[in-house]
Amino acid sequence: MRQLHPEPAGDTLLEARNLSFSYSRPVVQEFSLGLPPGKVTGLIGPNGSGKTTVLRLLDGILRPTGGDVLLHGSVPLARLSRKEIARRIAMVPQNGGSYYYQSVFEFTMQGRSPHLSLLGFESERDIDIVRDTLEMTCLSALSHARVSEISGGERQRLLLARALAQQAEILLLDELTANLDINYQVELMRLVRRITRERKLASLVVSHEINLLASFCDWIVLMAEGKIFRQGPVAEAVTEESLRGIFGLDFFVRRSATGPLEILPVLEP
Amino acid sequence: MNRLSDRKIVGKTLWLLAAWLLAALVSLNIGSVSISASEMLRIFENHGETQLAAILFSVRLPRVLMGSLVGAALASAGAAFQSLLRNPLADPYVLGVSTGASLGTILYSIFVTTSRAPDSGGSFLYGRPLAAFLGAACTIAAVYVIGGNPRAGETSQRLLLAGIVFASFLSSINVFLLTSTNQADLRGIFYWLIGDLSRPVDPSIYVVAVAVFAGFALLYACSHGLNLIATGEEDALILGVSVPRVKAGVYAVASLVTGAVVSVSGPVAYIGLICPHIARMMFGSDNRILFPTVFVFGAIFTLLADTLARTVLSPVELPVGVITALCGAPLFIYLLHRRRSGA
Repeated sequence: MRQLHPEPAGDTLLEARNLSFSYSRPVVQEFSLGLPPGKVTGLIGPNGSGKTTVLRLLDGILRPTGGDVLLHGSVPLARLSRKEIARRIAMVPQNGGSYYYQSVFEFTMQGRSPHLSLLGFESERDIDIVRDTLEMTCLSALSHARVSEISGGERQRLLLARALAQQAEILLLDELTANLDINYQVELMRLVRRITRERKLASLVVSHEINLLASFCDWIVLMAEGKIFRQGPVAEAVTEESLRGIFGLDFFVRRSATGPLEILPVLEP
Repeated sequence: MNRLSDRKIVGKTLWLLAAWLLAALVSLNIGSVSISASEMLRIFENHGETQLAAILFSVRLPRVLMGSLVGAALASAGAAFQSLLRNPLADPYVLGVSTGASLGTILYSIFVTTSRAPDSGGSFLYGRPLAAFLGAACTIAAVYVIGGNPRAGETSQRLLLAGIVFASFLSSINVFLLTSTNQADLRGIFYWLIGDLSRPVDPSIYVVAVAVFAGFALLYACSHGLNLIATGEEDALILGVSVPRVKAGVYAVASLVTGAVVSVSGPVAYIGLICPHIARMMFGSDNRILFPTVFVFGAIFTLLADTLARTVLSPVELPVGVITALCGAPLFIYLLHRRRSGA
């Protein structure tokens, strides 16, 4: 029972229309998705299902072999320069930020790059924005520390801070919570959801943590083999049947007393 | 907060320019005929037609300016290549670009001699620098094709190895061409192949100067983009840098600048390697401050090296490339060693 792509309510900031991409074999096929303002969308799928490719297509790093990516429902991404895209779309890549000599402040300042003049000097306003962003991501105390000196949890927050400093309206997060303890995962997702709502951003979060996405997202997309298997509000999209469909495993899904779904894979040794 | 500002960059650059001026005055002053400061002042005041004035204006001053231009260009090209390849061992000489430029120059002069076309000193000013640029551009393209891996993208080690191999290959072609075409001035050519500033300056130097300054301006415009590319190419794309365009542009411009000066001075070794490292130690690795400072620092370094080259065995002059290689080769080995032990 595959659901046809339902239109998300209201206007979308970023929209994928029938996106396809292939190297020697198809990686993404007929992928359609709208990202509305103020909502967190989650993207789940097994390894190799094309999640990262979708994010790179949505940020214009890869050119789709078919279909379009549209800003505000009408402006094709392909028509914008990299700088224009970076003012509108911020992305945290999966293995971002390998330049460890910099300070936390300097690294976050990189996020201001698309807003700088030709010669690339920061204004007082850029400095204020970076300070505010560090404050918001609880990194102010570390602003002089080197990137190589901070912990894994802090580094993921730093990557988010750099993306937020871009002041883009669209936020694409690839495995932001990977390799983090559960308390850091929850803390980061709370932050993402709060900022998404406060700033009316359109956020797309890729993660392997089904429970985390089910708790913090407004909309869930399930993906397998390059295609959307199902999408919809959390309770409708995340079912025992749909999870079995994409992972080939049995799951228990039930609504907890406090509201969010509880999802448990059935592990038979 | 140790923040980079335009004021800081202008300040450091002016400071270096003052040092360059001092070095230039010292270099004008010494040589096989010493011209004292008071004599120099008198010559500047009177514009006298004395013998000293002739030495000062038609021999030493052009040489000081040429040495500065060559040094500034090679040092900037080196800084650009190092930043682009994210490898501290990259420079136009190691990558074979300088040798490619000298092949272009040699082919052009053979063409001029055999076809009796107007010499580069005559009506066609662009010929020699243009040929050198083409040689440099073809070399970097070839090195990129040989050293690049279409699947994994280019790795800097492979590119450098390809450059070193290509440089020795081209260098033997150069010697073959020069020996087989019966050049009269073998000693001069030998000097030029090592890197030499003792040849008389001809009007093509204006074309070279324009190419160097324009190239520097273009490199400077890419400096922040190169900073981000150093973080990682994917990160740079995400942060709004048109990575393929910046990379292609910097390869082309660094080759242009190298080719332009090599057509005059020959492939002077190691300037592009040493100067960026020293400038980085002094001013930091942010390209926005590195590029202007290394431009002036390269000028100072080469000027001093050339002054040494023409005075240390006076009245015999050494090619400046001997002095730069004497300083540069040990530093190269040191960097290689430090890299290996650090890895």
